[in-house]
Amino acid sequence: MADLQERKIKDAQMRATINQKLVETGERERLKELLRTRLIECGWRDQLKAQCKEIVQSKGLEHITVDDLVAEITPKGRALVPDNVKKELLQRIRTFLAQQSSM
Amino acid sequence: MSLHGCEHLTSLKAAYGIQPFYIIHSYFIACSSIEARRVKAKSCFCHTCRYRGLRVHACLSCVYFGCYNEQHIHNHAKTKKHNLSVDLSYGTVYCYACGTFVYDEELENVARKQQRAAAATLGIKRDFAPWEPGQDEIELLRRNPKRRKVSENSHIGLRGLINLGNTCFMNCILQSLTHTPILRDYFLSDQHHCHMTANPQQCLVCEMGRLFQEFYSGVRTPYIPYKLLHLVWTNARHLAGYEQQDAHEFLIAALDVLHRHCQGQGTNGLSYSSSHHCNCIIDQIFTGGLQSDVTCKQCNNVSTTIDPIWDISLDLGPGPGSTTAAIAAGSNLVLSAVGDPALPMAVGPALVDLPTASLSPASGFTNSPSNYEPTSLLDCLKRFTRPEHLGNSAKIKCSNCSSYQESTKQLTMKKSPIVACFHLKRFEHSTGYHKKISTYVSFPEELDMTPFMSSSRNNSNGYTNQIVRESATGLSCDNKYSLFAVVNHSGTIESGHYTCYIRSHKEQWFKCEDHVITRATAGEVLSSEGYLLFYHKQLLEYA
Ligand SMILES: [Zn+2]
Ligand SMILES: [Zn+2]
Ligand SMILES: [Zn+2]
Ligand SMILES: [Zn+2]
Ligand SMILES: [Zn+2]
Ligand SMILES: [Zn+2]
Repeated sequence: MADLQERKIKDAQMRATINQKLVETGERERLKELLRTRLIECGWRDQLKAQCKEIVQSKGLEHITVDDLVAEITPKGRALVPDNVKKELLQRIRTFLAQQSSM
Repeated sequence: MSLHGCEHLTSLKAAYGIQPFYIIHSYFIACSSIEARRVKAKSCFCHTCRYRGLRVHACLSCVYFGCYNEQHIHNHAKTKKHNLSVDLSYGTVYCYACGTFVYDEELENVARKQQRAAAATLGIKRDFAPWEPGQDEIELLRRNPKRRKVSENSHIGLRGLINLGNTCFMNCILQSLTHTPILRDYFLSDQHHCHMTANPQQCLVCEMGRLFQEFYSGVRTPYIPYKLLHLVWTNARHLAGYEQQDAHEFLIAALDVLHRHCQGQGTNGLSYSSSHHCNCIIDQIFTGGLQSDVTCKQCNNVSTTIDPIWDISLDLGPGPGSTTAAIAAGSNLVLSAVGDPALPMAVGPALVDLPTASLSPASGFTNSPSNYEPTSLLDCLKRFTRPEHLGNSAKIKCSNCSSYQESTKQLTMKKSPIVACFHLKRFEHSTGYHKKISTYVSFPEELDMTPFMSSSRNNSNGYTNQIVRESATGLSCDNKYSLFAVVNHSGTIESGHYTCYIRSHKEQWFKCEDHVITRATAGEVLSSEGYLLFYHKQLLEYA
């Protein structure tokens, strides 16, 4: 039990450190740009845009808030990201970390 | 969407100006310095629950960060009456009094500027922004309320062309051009401003514009392109007459006339100047840069020339024994060098200074990987960009050694065009005989030109430890292409017929045979013989 707790804290620390490194080096921005590009390429952006339009039209512009839209579209958007895009990003993060630890 | 924010933002700006937004944006959103990125890495978390991640907001009135998801920023806004905050992931401003995101032109401009600067410091090239209509366009849309919505299974843009007597070669090229996405966008957005002011009826570019209007008008009856044919005839006289012509020759002639008319040059004759820096729509779309590197075997001195090309002609037959001489003379690679097919390549310093003896057949030519028949487009391109040993009898004057030396020559693509057109040389014209090569050459639906780029050639020098740099360039999908048109020739060299496949929308293929258009599958397209292959860049970089 204590072990699990410790692990959780360690994981969180690790995540924070990695995130900090990604931001500091600017790699996070590069990854974001790569992701943006890939999502445009594979049509994800257009698909999501069309779905947002549909939601807005069906509920009526007056009755919908950004929060509603975010709540409704986020799970769909996550599910629609192609596996190879996730894989590529993971690979890039791995490469980055390997490079960081060797320095 | 209003770009004037809300009353709360207006009064905040009146009190403090844009400074609070400016500081938050430059330190926590778009950083242009290592120092700023360090601050951002350390301090972007909710001050209440210490959450790091998406949708953490910064208060615009005091130093407080709070998360949006657990509403800690909302609570802060309510208790302190600090109505406005900035989303640290995206830089958007939220007003809690209005309960929505608000947009302000001045702040948006600041944000855009800083994002650009931040991207530049990281070597990120793209500055992607969705298109937004300007004042003129809004006015135009208002005055023309009729809209045509293009759906998945719409047939818009598909129209047969009447054969005017052996003009299937022209019809295929016109179909391919009218289905070139970026050319279509150019014409349908009415961007041609005619330079043939004295005689606009003679402008082929204007005529192409009318053709696009006809194709996308929604009318389904076949179109009769007689005026276009007439214009090409009067401007490229070698194509005139009611006989079957070569589709490739027609394409190059049409591009040349279009390019000339774009500049307002109506007269026939050489449009080509050695410094070809034309920026007309044809050159923007079709012109690639072919790099030729000749390396002296004696001193390793490399002389490089770059020539503009509109298409790449690829040899199909087995490399003949006399390749050496042919290549040295530059005739093995018939490139449609822009504007003047008769003047293909190598105008560089001390490059083509061939002794006449080099035209005799080579002897002792070993290392001849050209002695195989390519079976795929990639094979052809590999052969095209492979270093070629110019033998003993094809010595070239080296500017460094100041004497004739043996050398190696390699062609690569310096600049990839937006539309890459490959010409499979199926027609062999040698003295005494004409022959068609019907070998099957497979070609892919998606093509990556990276291995054939000049940059790939330079990279082979073993440059390591460049992950960051490589990954930055890896962001650019500069060299990825998709097939969108294939022109086929059937029959013999004397009597044949041209048809073509064109892609409309994303995945839909159609076969065009003069006035008849039928649905086709990608499988059919890819298993067809292929004479001209048109590829379009998948992603365009906005300059
Ligand atoms: Zn929180
Ligand atoms: Zn506050
Ligand atoms: Zn407000
Ligand atoms: Zn014109
Ligand atoms: Zn031009
Ligand atoms: Zn030399």
